[in-house]
Amino acid sequence: VAAVLAVFLLYSSIAGGGTPSLRPSSLAGHTGKVALAGRVLRPVTGDAHGAGLHFRLRDVKGTATVPVVYTGSVPDLFRPGRDVVVEGHLRSGVFVAIPGTLVTKCPSKYTPKKS
Amino acid sequence: VPELGRAALVVCFGLALYAVVAGFAGAYLRRRRLALSAQNALVAAFVAAAVSVGVLLAALVRSDFSFTYVSSFTSRELPLSYKLTALWGGQEGSLLLWLLVLTGYGAAAVLLDRRAGRELVAWVVPVLGIVAVFFSLLVVFVASPFKTHVAPADGVGLNSSLQSPYMQAHPPMLYLGYVGLTVPFAFAMGALLSGRTDERWIVATRRWTLLAWAFLGIGQLLGAKWAYEEVGWGGYYAWDPVENAALMPWLAATAFLHSVMVQERKGMLKVWNMLLVTLAFSLSLFGTFLTRSGVLNSIHSFTEGSIGPWFLGFICFVVAGSLTLVFRRLPLLRSKTKLESLASREATFLYNNLLLVALCLTILWGVTFPILSEAVRGESVTVGRPYYDFFLRAFGLPLLLLMGIGPLIAWRRASLRSLGRTFLWPFVAAVVAGAGLIAAGAGSSIPGLVAYTFSAFVAATIALEFIRGTQARRALSGEPVVRAFGSLVARNRRRYGGYIVHAAILMLAIGVAGSSAYNTSRSARLAPGQSLKVRDYTLVYRGLNSTRSENAVETRATIDVYRGGSRIATMHPGKNSYPVEQQVSNEVSIRSDLLTGEDLFLITEQVNRNGTIDFKALINPLVNLLWAAGLVFLIGSAVALWPDAREERRLAVRYGHLPQEV
Repeated sequence: VAAVLAVFLLYSSIAGGGTPSLRPSSLAGHTGKVALAGRVLRPVTGDAHGAGLHFRLRDVKGTATVPVVYTGSVPDLFRPGRDVVVEGHLRSGVFVAIPGTLVTKCPSKYTPKKS
Repeated sequence: VPELGRAALVVCFGLALYAVVAGFAGAYLRRRRLALSAQNALVAAFVAAAVSVGVLLAALVRSDFSFTYVSSFTSRELPLSYKLTALWGGQEGSLLLWLLVLTGYGAAAVLLDRRAGRELVAWVVPVLGIVAVFFSLLVVFVASPFKTHVAPADGVGLNSSLQSPYMQAHPPMLYLGYVGLTVPFAFAMGALLSGRTDERWIVATRRWTLLAWAFLGIGQLLGAKWAYEEVGWGGYYAWDPVENAALMPWLAATAFLHSVMVQERKGMLKVWNMLLVTLAFSLSLFGTFLTRSGVLNSIHSFTEGSIGPWFLGFICFVVAGSLTLVFRRLPLLRSKTKLESLASREATFLYNNLLLVALCLTILWGVTFPILSEAVRGESVTVGRPYYDFFLRAFGLPLLLLMGIGPLIAWRRASLRSLGRTFLWPFVAAVVAGAGLIAAGAGSSIPGLVAYTFSAFVAATIALEFIRGTQARRALSGEPVVRAFGSLVARNRRRYGGYIVHAAILMLAIGVAGSSAYNTSRSARLAPGQSLKVRDYTLVYRGLNSTRSENAVETRATIDVYRGGSRIATMHPGKNSYPVEQQVSNEVSIRSDLLTGEDLFLITEQVNRNGTIDFKALINPLVNLLWAAGLVFLIGSAVALWPDAREERRLAVRYGHLPQEV
């Protein structure tokens, strides 16, 4: 048991730092990979399978916003007003997302319908 | 009418409370009639819960939108079957279902398991009562499914992605599993309270645990199948917290099912079994809590949720209460025997248990990490797929290997010689399979290769067990092969049912390894007439067409699939858009090759104005083994569960018929 636990702790302390998940208001100063959670604002422009989808994310409860550019699969539930999480890096004021990391936050499986 | 439902729940609450008070008093004072009346209260509570479920179902069927619950989860045009299954579509209904299943299980268990001894059952009743009190408290005071409001013209409706037969069956299966774990837990606590800490509680609850565990397993596979077909990202398991919520109690219950065999046989691991059953039950509560409390979004939204703190409090109470009990009964839980050798059946069971529990706890750590880090550092940190995949390999692969070793190795102590004799052929099979796979190019993924080599080993041991057993049977009875095989399984249902389940897990492992380690994915933007090559498939995009259905605009691409120069299929991946709900849903197209178990999985990711589509194609090898494994799992569980008169007689001899101590 002790050995198992040791392996586990070792791993989680080295590699298991995980991804900090932040709100737009607390994003400033983070240069590493983070997961950004927020509410999608209108307008959503561009092409997720081309030059990139552009939109702004706002704190779910708050006013701070940040522009996001995203490429890759867009989940079915994505649209303005929804809460999403996307992983990426902050690059000179724009949050550049890692392709394919956009997920909508309402756990679609168990919380049907949130409008 | 909502009053009737509400009243029935209040009655249910009262009866559960009575079952607790009268049950404890009856058991403590050894008043048989009081204990019996507590038992009857539990049965009556089931009836009351059934009445209130009936009321809610009737309201759902009649689309009585004055029920807040009905208007929140159904609409007029929703098909009847979905109206009915909306019973577990929302939080309040799910809790009500929990209560119904709980009281049902509880009533059945105390009525059917009288053999466990009156004194034990007398203590089990109040424990079941406590759990029932908690859930009826929730539906009476905190999250009532019978809230009413001024009836709107139409209800909100059901999320389109939940309108799937898999989603109709998945939640009740999970609940039957989660709640079923209450029974072994209650018997374990009953055993501690009564001081009857022999194997009786385990014997009495073996089938209940198995049943709950089988439901949990099947429920998860249904969920995976749903995710695969409906969510449309090409996979079936994403280590999502709500998925993990069901996996953790299943792992704990798997460990428990194995370790009780050691206790039955050797009288060892008594404390460990008590802890495991507590872990399994707490995790099933935790699973309900995770999926229902909103804690996953953020610890902040959790404190706003109404049922979250209640659940957390109850989980703490359960853990603290059972640990205290175990601690106070420690002198009674001493092992009769000691572990003699690290190479023995007992030791293998122990390794299996440690690995299962370690896997379970690392998942728990991963699930709670965002919550813990937010509470501690004010910044929520999530762990992702790499974390879980790492531990699945680190603990899962050795587990796979143990599945081959465990059933064959001798009890007590295995000599080197007997080990060589037993494992010669499986070892040869593994080496041959490994060499063959490397030649076939499976070396591209080391974990995949290891998984397959181990699988060959396990498959060989299972086959060997069946062959040896059948031969022995033939030698004994002179029956023809098929008859001998049949009677072998029939006479040792538990053992061979177990092997069949092992075979199912093996198929699952092969399917998971195949579809995760050897899958291929390509995506491209295609104009009509253009094609995309994915491995040996050529996909030609022919065009788009849209049709209007009752409540959606259905856009479908036409894709011709060629392999080896000839057209083998035409597929139609597309999107539905629902104007009323303002929602789109991916409608993927899947072509299963039943011969190889491989899926061609097509997704239309984006439809562009100029008629081009952004298109993704995945090849998932062996993924169909997963669903086949579900069937084998079901068969194996059924064999192990099937009542066995011979076993009953054996047990009756061992434990005496009805102890007359009360």
